[in-house]
Amino acid sequence: MNSVGNQNMLSVAGQLIFRKTEKMLKFLLPVIFPSWRFFSSIGPSPRIHIGFLRDENGEPEVWQEFRPRPAKISLKSGFWRLLHSPKWNETLYINTCAERLFEGYSEMREREIMRRILAAIQKGEILVEAAKPYVTYRISAIMREGQVTTQQITFVATPVLLSDSVSISSVSEQGTV
Amino acid sequence: MLLEQAVRYSEIILGLAYAQQSVEYIRGLQPEKVWGVILLLLSCLLLIGFQPVFVEAGLLIIACILLYRFQGPYNGGSDCMSILVLLCLFLSHVAPTPFWKQIALGYLAFQLTFSYFQSGYIKIINTDWRSGQALTDVFAITAYPVSERVRDWAKSPRLMLFMSWLVIVFELLFPLSLLNHYALMVALSITAAFHLANACLFGLNRFFWIWLAAYPIILWFQSRLMAT
Repeated sequence: MNSVGNQNMLSVAGQLIFRKTEKMLKFLLPVIFPSWRFFSSIGPSPRIHIGFLRDENGEPEVWQEFRPRPAKISLKSGFWRLLHSPKWNETLYINTCAERLFEGYSEMREREIMRRILAAIQKGEILVEAAKPYVTYRISAIMREGQVTTQQITFVATPVLLSDSVSISSVSEQGTV
Repeated sequence: MLLEQAVRYSEIILGLAYAQQSVEYIRGLQPEKVWGVILLLLSCLLLIGFQPVFVEAGLLIIACILLYRFQGPYNGGSDCMSILVLLCLFLSHVAPTPFWKQIALGYLAFQLTFSYFQSGYIKIINTDWRSGQALTDVFAITAYPVSERVRDWAKSPRLMLFMSWLVIVFELLFPLSLLNHYALMVALSITAAFHLANACLFGLNRFFWIWLAAYPIILWFQSRLMAT
């Protein structure tokens, strides 16, 4: 019995290692043999909006854009961003996750975006609406069709309950929307 | 430029580039914060030239962990180039003979050249790029422009057309600069300015630093090519 059990464990471990290695190679090979097709075609571009809800099944009354662009960036700030731009690079990563969600559902991508939105709320970057303890986000795709630019909602995330500390601190610090 | 010199210069710039990336990870979320700290430590060791083989092996392991963590690159092409530079430098150290050392670095020089040429090629075969429409879309539609003022550049079709062709022609001609040392120096100055512009307009700061890290290798490669 022990020997059969050990063999099964070895087989499961072997399969796990094989799957992990296969997955790792899937990520690594395109890096070692890259394709430099920057902007080969301009596909749909994601925009992310956040909404707060009273309950899990509700509908947000207001959708606020996640990290809207500033009107302009000063020379000094532009120079600093050349050296250090963590928020912008995170936003680019979030956009990559959103683009992957255009291609098909991925729990990991949905979670990654939500995690970063929650962190932004925690830091006070996003205003929390009073008496609305749930947060969700939606992704819309902006694209050009002929001479017309259209925007379509492609994904709405499962709402998440904000922790008490996050909602209380953000509301008391920044008021309500 | 001598091979050893090129490797050392490249490692110094790579160390700076990784230090820049690691500080950004440290400002982010867990678990990349922790990886960022280790990355910063290894970048500093690379910068001072301490045991480059082991340091580069360590950086490669972290790069793979991050690749797995984000299910692909965190920052697209800049992560690809970072790992590629790192891998080729590491292979140049562990190569059994000078021939294989040159093959490892030659591969990096080839990828750098190809990164410009292929970019230009896929643009010139695309009618939207030839008409300037694709670049207009980059400014008007994509999430890249860093400010609304930069997004307004899309309203100047002539400027977009001019910029599109400037980029296409330069990218396609880049491999020819390998024929002459001074031509390559000029070409690399222009590409550095191009990456700087991308960093300012689209916030692609990591691309600027990491492409620079491969420049000493292409300078060595060009002198090696001309010597044959």
